[in-house]
Amino acid sequence: MELTRRDFLKHSSFVASAFLVSFIVPQKARAQMVDNSVPEPNAFIQITKKNEITFFLPQAEMGQGAYTVLAMCIADELDAKWEDVFFEPAPVKELFNIPGMPMMLTGGSNSVKTRHLQMRQIGASIRAMLKIAAAKYWKISADLIQTKNAILTNTKTKESLPYGFFTDVIKLMKAPEKVTLKENSELTLIGKPTKRHPKEAWAKVMGHTQFGIDVRLPHMKYAALIQPRVFGATLKSFDATVALKKPGILKVKQLANHKIAIIAEKWWQAKEAINDVVVEWNERDFAKISSKDLAKEYESYLDKECLPMRKDGNVEEAFANAHKVVKATFKFPFLAHAAMEPLNCTVHHQKDSAFMSMGGQFQTLYRNKCAEIYQLPPEKVQYYNNYLGSSFGRRGTPSADFVIDSIYAAQNEAWPVMTLWSREDDIKMGSYRPMYRNSAEMAIDKEGNILGFKAKVIGQSMTKGTIFESFMFKEGIDATHKEGLTDHQYKVGSHDIQGFCPDSPIPLLWLRSVGHTQTGPLVEGIIDQAAVAANMDPIDFRIKNLQNPRFVELLKSVAKQSNWYKREKNSGYGVAVVESFGSIVAYVAKVKVENSDYKVEKIWAAVDCGLAINPLNVENQIISAVNFSIGITKYSEITIKNGEAEQSNFYDYTVSTIADTPEIHVEIINSGEKIGGMGEPGVPPLFPAVANALFDATGKRYTSYPIRLS
Amino acid sequence: MIQFTVNDKAYSVDVAEDTPILWILREHLNLTGTKFGCGAAQCGACTVLLGNEAIRSCSTPISEANGKHITTIETTKDKEVKALQYAWVAEDVAQCGYCQPGQIMNAASLLKKNPHPNEAQIIDAMRGNICRCGTYNRIKSAIAIVAKG
Ligand code: FES
Ligand code: FES
Repeated sequence: MELTRRDFLKHSSFVASAFLVSFIVPQKARAQMVDNSVPEPNAFIQITKKNEITFFLPQAEMGQGAYTVLAMCIADELDAKWEDVFFEPAPVKELFNIPGMPMMLTGGSNSVKTRHLQMRQIGASIRAMLKIAAAKYWKISADLIQTKNAILTNTKTKESLPYGFFTDVIKLMKAPEKVTLKENSELTLIGKPTKRHPKEAWAKVMGHTQFGIDVRLPHMKYAALIQPRVFGATLKSFDATVALKKPGILKVKQLANHKIAIIAEKWWQAKEAINDVVVEWNERDFAKISSKDLAKEYESYLDKECLPMRKDGNVEEAFANAHKVVKATFKFPFLAHAAMEPLNCTVHHQKDSAFMSMGGQFQTLYRNKCAEIYQLPPEKVQYYNNYLGSSFGRRGTPSADFVIDSIYAAQNEAWPVMTLWSREDDIKMGSYRPMYRNSAEMAIDKEGNILGFKAKVIGQSMTKGTIFESFMFKEGIDATHKEGLTDHQYKVGSHDIQGFCPDSPIPLLWLRSVGHTQTGPLVEGIIDQAAVAANMDPIDFRIKNLQNPRFVELLKSVAKQSNWYKREKNSGYGVAVVESFGSIVAYVAKVKVENSDYKVEKIWAAVDCGLAINPLNVENQIISAVNFSIGITKYSEITIKNGEAEQSNFYDYTVSTIADTPEIHVEIINSGEKIGGMGEPGVPPLFPAVANALFDATGKRYTSYPIRLS
Repeated sequence: MIQFTVNDKAYSVDVAEDTPILWILREHLNLTGTKFGCGAAQCGACTVLLGNEAIRSCSTPISEANGKHITTIETTKDKEVKALQYAWVAEDVAQCGYCQPGQIMNAASLLKKNPHPNEAQIIDAMRGNICRCGTYNRIKSAIAIVAKG
């Protein structure tokens, strides 16, 4: 079947035909299906004699819907009964690694992007094996067997048997060399708006879901931490005499990473005893660090020659010959993730083994850290991944900070120990989205062509010194300084884009959409200024200068949805379009400015993630990203003074609430291009869409985040 | 000895009087559906009903529950909670789900006082319950479904 790209540009649940190919099951997956040495006869799908079907899912579920969407892929090809399937987190084993990666990891919006085909292949393989088993049993050709709702039917005799009847047979069977995935017309789940799997949804509303914080093991104890509030400080001495007399306190011990763990029968007791421990820290010059000074330092680099990130064309000439030049500087603060569930991890250090149970994005890395610290072979550490009470990158940390705390706290202890950070630990102890000071300049000609683009990104590297350094920190530049900036999609005659990564002891980490949190507002902010300078409509200017038809399609969609061309002048409309993690999202935002405050009233969204396997989940991720990002746009900010964060809980680290929520309208355009991620791409265009809308309403450019009007 | 009931079951605990209800539920009674979010009455994740009133259990001492009835998300009887749970699933509200027990308990208390709240009243009642996944639009529509009856 030959379809043109145009044919794919249909709305909602149309399924692209890019899937109509025969796929080969990866060698490893195939081997696993007949490998009886693993506890599960089949690694990804377990079928019991009673026909209970469980999927072992290798990605973390942190709210983004990975379990439901991956399970849809398996269940569709397997012809399982959707409501009846169970999920379990896959254990840490090589065969569960991301295809082509040496580890299990959930990040970069990768779950569906990297796994949808694999999941389909697995479902299809097991279905093919069941049919072969049934064909032998009924002594007919496998083609005469139908599958539906986990039941095999002999079309000749109308006899039926549940999948579970053949479970022992398929355990011993070789997986087929090749499996053919379903034709689009045969799909029952993929491409259809599907709510969260009912088992997950019901457990969550009844309070039955087990998050890391809900782990309960026999004889387990709880640890609260005393951490240095000044970044970089080390422990000098402590006296726990008083604390040890308090009820329930079992132990107060120094950890190898300059923290103190108070272990008690109950976490509340441990937490209450914190003030009874007298601690002295070595703070040295670290106590002099402030975000004000850092900002001054960063800003000084904006006037200097920095390291090259992209240079092409003749920028000097472009700016000299320009009809108009627009300029902006941007300020982005440190941000805490403030994931809803405070950070925690439970570890049991046994004689020649260990068990850890938590909600984490980096299963393999955390398991290996534990093995390394306890000097155990990695396979002696059993890791169980619970549901994550949101994360936004925080539970995917290469430094493994809160996990290491827990590993140390439980080291050589007789009991399993849950180490739980307080909210104050979470807000004050960093692993922040970096602070940035950026600049941008654009030169345009009379016709609205972009002749030159200069930009600078100044911020500390978040990958330097981590296991990601070797491929994400090159020649002094962090890859996350560049993403979305040096690879923007506009037609531009020349570039001079530079960056610099000053150091500090403040621990940093990616936050949902990573570098795009600063490059999105930069690119879409300066483009908006250029449009105004060119005396063009902001959407028309973008369409004229964009070279990617997918972007244009989305802009047309949001223009139509929002009645853009009929809007009243200066009534608070702004637009932005950003690609990240393989998906493109465009927004038109409508804001209302009142006194010195503003409210985002409405968001019209258009999304192209290639193919929406679950359009309802795509919509949910946009709703999530919009509300999350409104908090960052309006309120959230970590400032450092005397070496420590000035904020400590939700009363001074403000996030969005239901009162900030705009009406949100989402349209999905299935271009049929490669499938992209959806957990993050809704974030970056929100900032510039709102900032541009504020310009429309007030005539002023807002480039300093969080955006406050006065 | 402090005596109270939780979801119609009687309990008595011998603990420091100022221990927050949250930690009694989670660590003594093993009712982990009620969540710890901030410990400072700032997020609503720990919301339960004391009588018919929504309270922040992280900041309410157990002594205040003496002789009273606590309802948590694990209840199987509460009419409003039940109706809300159905609406929550129907509206596909929960993402990570961590804040949702608190959201539902807070909404239940709203409905007990005002069975038919309008949108402004819903927002006003729910603005203290943080959802970092930003499911607010769906929360609004789920409550509206129950409010319409
Ligand atoms: S945990 Fe009680 S309000 Fe946040
Ligand atoms: S659903 Fe994740 S915090 Fe509300």
